[in-house]
Amino acid sequence: MTSTLEQLDTDRTTRVASEEPWRTIVWDDPVNLMTYVSYVFRSYFGYPREEAERLMLKVHTEGRAVVATGNREAMERHVEAMHGYGLQATVSRGEP
Amino acid sequence: MIVAGRSGGEGVRLVLEAEEAMLLSELADQVDSVLLLGEADDPALGRLLPNAYPDDATSSREFSRYTRDSLVDGKRQAAQRVRDATAVDDGGDAVVQIELDQSEAWGWLTFLTDLRLILAERVGIIEEGDDAASETRDDYLRAAYEWAGFVQGSMLEVLDPTDS
Repeated sequence: MTSTLEQLDTDRTTRVASEEPWRTIVWDDPVNLMTYVSYVFRSYFGYPREEAERLMLKVHTEGRAVVATGNREAMERHVEAMHGYGLQATVSRGEP
Repeated sequence: MIVAGRSGGEGVRLVLEAEEAMLLSELADQVDSVLLLGEADDPALGRLLPNAYPDDATSSREFSRYTRDSLVDGKRQAAQRVRDATAVDDGGDAVVQIELDQSEAWGWLTFLTDLRLILAERVGIIEEGDDAASETRDDYLRAAYEWAGFVQGSMLEVLDPTDS
Protein backbone atom coordinates (compact mmCIF):
# COMPACT_ATOMS: atom_id res chain seq x y z
CA MET A 1 0.00 0.00 0.00
CA THR A 2 2.53 2.49 1.15
CA SER A 3 4.83 1.96 -1.77
CA THR A 4 1.93 2.26 -4.23
CA LEU A 5 0.94 5.61 -2.78
CA GLU A 6 4.50 6.81 -2.98
CA GLN A 7 4.65 5.69 -6.57
CA LEU A 8 1.51 7.68 -7.38
CA ASP A 9 2.88 10.76 -5.68
CA THR A 10 6.11 10.50 -7.64
CA ASP A 11 4.13 10.18 -10.87
CA ARG A 12 2.09 13.22 -10.09
CA THR A 13 5.17 15.27 -9.28
CA THR A 14 6.82 14.22 -12.53
CA ARG A 15 3.72 14.99 -14.55
CA VAL A 16 3.28 18.43 -13.04
CA ALA A 17 6.93 19.24 -13.64
CA SER A 18 6.79 18.22 -17.29
CA GLU A 19 3.63 20.26 -17.84
CA GLU A 20 5.30 23.35 -16.48
CA PRO A 21 3.42 26.16 -18.13
CA TRP A 22 4.82 28.51 -20.70
CA ARG A 23 4.17 32.21 -20.53
CA THR A 24 3.14 35.04 -22.78
CA ILE A 25 4.97 38.19 -21.69
CA VAL A 26 4.08 41.67 -22.90
CA TRP A 27 6.82 44.30 -22.60
CA ASP A 28 6.51 48.00 -22.12
CA ASP A 29 7.22 50.22 -25.08
CA PRO A 30 7.13 54.01 -25.18
CA VAL A 31 4.82 54.10 -28.20
CA ASN A 32 1.58 52.30 -27.43
CA LEU A 33 -1.22 54.17 -25.71
CA MET A 34 -2.26 52.76 -22.35
CA THR A 35 -5.91 52.79 -23.41
CA TYR A 36 -5.00 50.76 -26.50
CA VAL A 37 -3.05 48.12 -24.57
CA SER A 38 -5.88 47.71 -22.08
CA TYR A 39 -8.45 47.45 -24.90
CA VAL A 40 -6.35 44.76 -26.61
CA PHE A 41 -6.12 42.72 -23.38
CA ARG A 42 -9.88 42.88 -22.94
CA SER A 43 -10.83 42.22 -26.54
CA TYR A 44 -8.33 39.46 -27.27
CA PHE A 45 -8.04 37.63 -23.93
CA GLY A 46 -11.56 38.47 -22.77
CA TYR A 47 -10.28 39.85 -19.45
CA PRO A 48 -12.71 41.97 -17.43
CA ARG A 49 -11.90 45.67 -17.52
CA GLU A 50 -10.32 45.64 -14.05
CA GLU A 51 -7.93 42.77 -14.83
CA ALA A 52 -7.00 44.25 -18.22
CA GLU A 53 -6.19 47.59 -16.56
CA ARG A 54 -4.17 45.86 -13.83
CA LEU A 55 -2.06 44.00 -16.41
CA MET A 56 -1.65 47.13 -18.54
CA LEU A 57 -0.44 49.11 -15.51
CA LYS A 58 1.92 46.28 -14.58
CA VAL A 59 3.43 46.43 -18.07
CA HIS A 60 3.69 50.20 -17.77
CA THR A 61 5.21 50.39 -14.29
CA GLU A 62 7.22 47.15 -14.07
CA GLY A 63 8.25 46.99 -17.72
CA ARG A 64 6.57 43.66 -18.37
CA ALA A 65 3.70 41.42 -17.35
CA VAL A 66 2.74 37.79 -17.79
CA VAL A 67 -0.60 38.01 -19.57
CA ALA A 68 -1.21 34.29 -20.13
CA THR A 69 0.17 30.89 -19.15
CA GLY A 70 -0.33 27.47 -20.68
CA ASN A 71 1.23 25.15 -23.20
CA ARG A 72 3.83 26.37 -25.62
CA GLU A 73 1.65 26.19 -28.71
CA ALA A 74 -1.07 28.32 -27.14
CA MET A 75 1.49 30.88 -25.95
CA GLU A 76 2.92 31.13 -29.45
CA ARG A 77 -0.56 31.80 -30.81
CA HIS A 78 -1.02 34.56 -28.21
CA VAL A 79 2.34 36.12 -28.99
CA GLU A 80 1.59 36.06 -32.71
CA ALA A 81 -1.72 37.80 -31.99
CA MET A 82 0.01 40.40 -29.80
CA HIS A 83 2.48 41.11 -32.62
CA GLY A 84 -0.50 41.54 -34.90
CA TYR A 85 -1.76 44.23 -32.53
CA GLY A 86 1.66 45.85 -32.49
CA LEU A 87 2.56 44.91 -28.90
CA GLN A 88 6.04 43.71 -27.95
CA ALA A 89 5.47 40.16 -26.72
CA THR A 90 7.68 37.14 -26.07
CA VAL A 91 7.26 33.46 -25.21
CA SER A 92 9.11 32.10 -22.20
CA ARG A 93 9.21 28.98 -20.08
CA GLY A 94 7.75 29.36 -16.60
CA GLU A 95 9.96 29.31 -13.52
CA PRO A 96 10.40 25.76 -12.17
CA MET B 1 -10.78 65.73 -38.00
CA ILE B 2 -13.92 64.59 -36.24
CA VAL B 3 -14.16 61.21 -34.53
CA ALA B 4 -17.66 60.27 -33.40
CA GLY B 5 -19.92 57.33 -32.69
CA ARG B 6 -22.17 55.92 -35.39
CA SER B 7 -25.86 56.65 -35.18
CA GLY B 8 -26.57 53.09 -36.33
CA GLY B 9 -24.76 51.30 -33.48
CA GLU B 10 -21.24 50.04 -32.77
CA GLY B 11 -18.25 51.39 -34.57
CA VAL B 12 -16.90 54.81 -35.33
CA ARG B 13 -17.44 57.63 -37.81
CA LEU B 14 -14.52 59.73 -39.05
CA VAL B 15 -14.69 63.02 -40.86
CA LEU B 16 -11.34 64.12 -42.30
CA GLU B 17 -10.37 67.30 -44.05
CA ALA B 18 -9.19 66.51 -47.57
CA GLU B 19 -5.66 67.46 -46.51
CA GLU B 20 -5.74 65.09 -43.53
CA ALA B 21 -7.07 62.30 -45.72
CA MET B 22 -4.26 62.81 -48.21
CA LEU B 23 -1.66 62.76 -45.44
CA LEU B 24 -3.10 59.58 -43.94
CA SER B 25 -3.30 57.92 -47.35
CA GLU B 26 0.35 58.77 -48.00
CA LEU B 27 1.42 57.49 -44.57
CA ALA B 28 -0.57 54.27 -45.07
CA ASP B 29 1.16 53.76 -48.39
CA GLN B 30 4.53 54.18 -46.69
CA VAL B 31 3.65 51.63 -44.00
CA ASP B 32 2.67 49.22 -46.76
CA SER B 33 6.01 49.86 -48.49
CA VAL B 34 8.05 49.22 -45.33
CA LEU B 35 6.30 45.85 -45.00
CA LEU B 36 6.50 45.04 -48.70
CA LEU B 37 10.22 45.78 -48.95
CA GLY B 38 10.86 43.95 -45.69
CA GLU B 39 14.49 45.09 -45.59
CA ALA B 40 16.22 43.01 -42.98
CA ASP B 41 18.31 45.92 -41.70
CA ASP B 42 15.30 48.22 -41.23
CA PRO B 43 14.95 48.63 -37.45
CA ALA B 44 11.29 49.66 -37.87
CA LEU B 45 10.54 46.13 -39.02
CA GLY B 46 11.90 44.86 -35.72
CA ARG B 47 9.22 46.90 -33.98
CA LEU B 48 6.45 45.55 -36.21
CA LEU B 49 7.69 41.96 -36.06
CA PRO B 50 9.39 41.57 -32.66
CA ASN B 51 11.59 38.67 -31.65
CA ALA B 52 9.36 36.18 -29.80
CA TYR B 53 12.35 34.33 -28.28
CA PRO B 54 15.11 36.85 -27.48
CA ASP B 55 17.16 34.17 -25.67
CA ASP B 56 16.70 31.29 -28.08
CA ALA B 57 17.88 31.84 -31.65
CA THR B 58 16.54 28.52 -32.96
CA SER B 59 13.02 28.99 -31.57
CA SER B 60 13.12 32.59 -32.71
CA ARG B 61 13.82 31.56 -36.31
CA GLU B 62 11.14 28.88 -36.19
CA PHE B 63 8.55 31.29 -34.81
CA SER B 64 9.41 33.85 -37.43
CA ARG B 65 9.22 31.28 -40.21
CA TYR B 66 5.72 30.21 -39.19
CA THR B 67 4.23 33.59 -38.36
CA ARG B 68 5.95 36.26 -40.43
CA ASP B 69 4.02 35.91 -43.69
CA SER B 70 0.58 36.05 -42.14
CA LEU B 71 1.57 38.92 -39.81
CA VAL B 72 2.95 40.90 -42.74
CA ASP B 73 -0.18 40.12 -44.81
CA GLY B 74 -2.49 41.25 -42.02
CA LYS B 75 -0.56 44.47 -41.43
CA ARG B 76 -0.33 45.25 -45.15
CA GLN B 77 -4.04 44.63 -45.61
CA ALA B 78 -4.87 47.01 -42.75
CA ALA B 79 -2.59 49.68 -44.24
CA GLN B 80 -4.02 49.22 -47.73
CA ARG B 81 -7.58 49.56 -46.45
CA VAL B 82 -6.74 52.82 -44.73
CA ARG B 83 -4.90 54.02 -47.84
CA ASP B 84 -7.89 53.21 -50.07
CA ALA B 85 -10.49 54.62 -47.68
CA THR B 86 -8.62 57.92 -47.46
CA ALA B 87 -7.72 58.20 -51.15
CA VAL B 88 -9.03 61.57 -52.33
CA ASP B 89 -9.89 61.93 -56.00
CA ASP B 90 -9.16 65.13 -57.87
CA GLY B 91 -12.79 66.24 -57.63
CA GLY B 92 -11.79 68.46 -54.74
CA ASP B 93 -14.01 67.10 -51.98
CA ALA B 94 -13.73 69.28 -48.89
CA VAL B 95 -14.09 66.41 -46.44
CA VAL B 96 -13.85 62.64 -46.47
CA GLN B 97 -16.39 60.73 -44.38
CA ILE B 98 -15.62 57.20 -43.29
CA GLU B 99 -17.84 54.79 -41.35
CA LEU B 100 -16.17 51.83 -39.67
CA ASP B 101 -17.83 48.90 -37.93
CA GLN B 102 -16.11 47.29 -34.94
CA SER B 103 -13.92 44.98 -37.01
CA GLU B 104 -12.97 47.65 -39.54
CA ALA B 105 -12.13 49.94 -36.62
CA TRP B 106 -9.69 47.31 -35.30
CA GLY B 107 -7.93 47.42 -38.67
CA TRP B 108 -7.49 51.16 -38.24
CA LEU B 109 -6.31 50.84 -34.62
CA THR B 110 -3.66 48.29 -35.53
CA PHE B 111 -2.60 50.30 -38.59
CA LEU B 112 -2.23 53.44 -36.45
CA THR B 113 -0.12 51.41 -34.01
CA ASP B 114 2.15 50.12 -36.78
CA LEU B 115 2.42 53.62 -38.22
CA ARG B 116 3.44 55.04 -34.83
CA LEU B 117 5.96 52.23 -34.27
CA ILE B 118 7.60 53.05 -37.60
CA LEU B 119 7.56 56.82 -37.03
CA ALA B 120 8.93 56.33 -33.51
CA GLU B 121 11.82 54.34 -34.94
CA ARG B 122 12.49 56.99 -37.60
CA VAL B 123 12.60 59.86 -35.10
CA GLY B 124 14.27 57.81 -32.41
CA ILE B 125 11.58 57.74 -29.75
CA ILE B 126 13.21 55.28 -27.43
CA GLU B 127 12.46 56.58 -23.97
CA GLU B 128 9.18 58.07 -22.92
CA GLY B 129 9.23 61.84 -22.88
CA ASP B 130 12.43 61.96 -24.93
CA ASP B 131 12.24 65.17 -26.96
CA ALA B 132 15.84 65.35 -28.13
CA ALA B 133 15.34 65.20 -31.90
CA SER B 134 14.72 68.58 -33.47
CA GLU B 135 15.61 68.55 -37.16
CA THR B 136 13.00 69.65 -39.70
CA ARG B 137 12.36 66.19 -41.09
CA ASP B 138 12.01 64.88 -37.58
CA ASP B 139 9.58 67.67 -36.75
CA TYR B 140 7.34 66.54 -39.59
CA LEU B 141 7.55 62.88 -38.58
CA ARG B 142 7.06 63.75 -34.95
CA ALA B 143 3.95 65.79 -35.77
CA ALA B 144 2.59 62.84 -37.76
CA TYR B 145 3.39 60.57 -34.82
CA GLU B 146 1.52 62.79 -32.36
CA TRP B 147 -1.38 63.20 -34.75
CA ALA B 148 -1.71 59.43 -35.32
CA GLY B 149 -1.76 59.02 -31.53
CA PHE B 150 -4.47 61.63 -31.25
CA VAL B 151 -6.59 59.87 -33.89
CA GLN B 152 -6.12 56.50 -32.20
CA GLY B 153 -6.89 57.92 -28.76
CA SER B 154 -10.05 59.59 -30.07
CA MET B 155 -11.18 56.37 -31.73
CA LEU B 156 -10.64 54.48 -28.46
CA GLU B 157 -12.72 57.02 -26.54
CA VAL B 158 -15.61 56.25 -28.88
CA LEU B 159 -15.08 52.48 -29.12
CA ASP B 160 -14.26 51.96 -25.44
CA PRO B 161 -15.80 54.72 -23.32
CA THR B 162 -14.43 54.46 -19.80
CA ASP B 163 -17.24 56.31 -18.06
CA SER B 164 -19.88 53.64 -18.82
